[in-house]
Amino acid sequence: MFNVKISLFARTRDLEHNIDSLHDKIIEMTMVFKEAVSIYLQEQRSEKYRHTSKKIKIIEHDSDILRREIESKLYEQNLIPDLRGNILELVENLDRVINLFDEVAHKFYIERPNIPEEYHAQLQELVGQVADCAENMAIASRAFFRDLVTLRDYSKKVYLLEHQSDKTAAKLRNEVFDSDLDLAHKMQINNFIEEVADIADLAEDCIDALLIFAIKREI
Amino acid sequence: MLEYLFFLSSGLFLGWSLGANDASNIFGTAVGTKMLRFTTAAVIASIFLVLGAVFSGQNTAETLNTLGEVNTLPAAFTVSLSSALAVLMMLKSGISVSISQAIVGGIIGWNVYNHKPTDTETLTNICATWIFCPIISGFIAVGLYICVKKLLHHSKVHILWQDMAVRVGMVLTTALGGFALGANNMANVVGVFIDSNVLEPIKLGTFYTLSSIQVLFLLGAIAACVGIFTYSQRAIRTVGKNVLSFSPTVAWIVILSQSLVLILFSSESLERFLISMNLPPIPAVPVSSTQAVIGAIVGIGLVKGGKGIKWSLILRVVSGWIATPIIAFALSFISLFFMENVFKQTIFIP
Repeated sequence: MFNVKISLFARTRDLEHNIDSLHDKIIEMTMVFKEAVSIYLQEQRSEKYRHTSKKIKIIEHDSDILRREIESKLYEQNLIPDLRGNILELVENLDRVINLFDEVAHKFYIERPNIPEEYHAQLQELVGQVADCAENMAIASRAFFRDLVTLRDYSKKVYLLEHQSDKTAAKLRNEVFDSDLDLAHKMQINNFIEEVADIADLAEDCIDALLIFAIKREI
Repeated sequence: MLEYLFFLSSGLFLGWSLGANDASNIFGTAVGTKMLRFTTAAVIASIFLVLGAVFSGQNTAETLNTLGEVNTLPAAFTVSLSSALAVLMMLKSGISVSISQAIVGGIIGWNVYNHKPTDTETLTNICATWIFCPIISGFIAVGLYICVKKLLHHSKVHILWQDMAVRVGMVLTTALGGFALGANNMANVVGVFIDSNVLEPIKLGTFYTLSSIQVLFLLGAIAACVGIFTYSQRAIRTVGKNVLSFSPTVAWIVILSQSLVLILFSSESLERFLISMNLPPIPAVPVSSTQAVIGAIVGIGLVKGGKGIKWSLILRVVSGWIATPIIAFALSFISLFFMENVFKQTIFIP
């Protein structure tokens, strides 16, 4: 009986740790992604970029493992029956954000877009806003498990940052299409801007779902 | 002895319906919200129901005896059967009712048939508890709800640990609820058979002997356990469907409030304590677990703004509470006539 109790406590602690680790991975991903884009803009596909890109792949791989563990533990241990479906959806959403970061970084690596220097500052600003948006989403999501007031505070921040990133992306795309670059080049840069801005949109969608789950979580 | 057991069968049938009907009030929400498995909950509730009935069940029986001492076995059989049929009729019409109300109706039927005056003070006391039981339960539920909400808000405990705490709470409350149901409601089941009891005391080892009345209560409790295992799952399915909008925490508050109310109305020591403090006493009276659950649900619903409460359903249930004792009264009166005049049984010893 005592052993059963100990293992029940240990398994709950394990799952709590896994959920926290998944959120840590998003925050780590936002920082590495910012660093990767910055390196790319300075050095293109250098050894340093290759190394940072590999770090992104590892984070994505680790978070996939964490996601699977969380999903199977929730069902195997029959935990939180009323909110289990919501938590599974939340975990899937978080994983989707991480995957999108990885996809964009990989696209830089494969397509090696030539981004003229005059757009570097604005692109970095956009990447910064998008990364902040995802980071705040991770904090809000972590708060869902412990503190609903904090969840609301950070959700506001996500909405604000997503709006700012939309404006930055629109301005940048406008400037790119106003330039003398050839159309194929413009289309390629535009595509990258869209992909980066999509990360903030996805983070915002996560928050929308999260706020609905939070209503259900209120007793 | 065989004759006694034959007549006791109607009491055991009533015990079976208590298990089948009221168990859903004790752990229905816990099973309905998938926090506890049916078997786990049923085993815990059954063990504690037996303990509550055998060791604390007689307190409320005294109140019923004051209302009317049904003093022959055929009369006890008839009163018990009439009450069971009244409950069954109401259940068939889809209204969850109280065995407490049916048995009171049945006993008054016996009093009236035998031109015996009913103790109006006891009757008033019992009727007052039918009004106060859901109100007290509602207040307890509201208090618990506000406290738990504040606690959760300030403690910032991880959702997984909250889930575990609620699960542990539900196990404890199922045990408490089982004990409370046995202590408070078993008198409804076998109370009318006390005066004509012929069962022998049972020795448990060298230290403890179950008195003949405790053996009677044990039989009633076993019948209730059979009811829990054979039929309560159906009632729980209905409760489960109705409480889907509840969070497990609210479900736990509802069953805890219900159990506390049943304990409050079963405890003679609490009654003595309140009298010694010059406070109005809470009498040891069999109350309805259904009423307590509804009181708790309505209380929490009102605190949450009152939008989710189905008032038409509540009105239907309350009308059932009024109809049940009247039906039991009528059935008891008519059946006693047949018992005396057709089956030539003695139904009253002056």
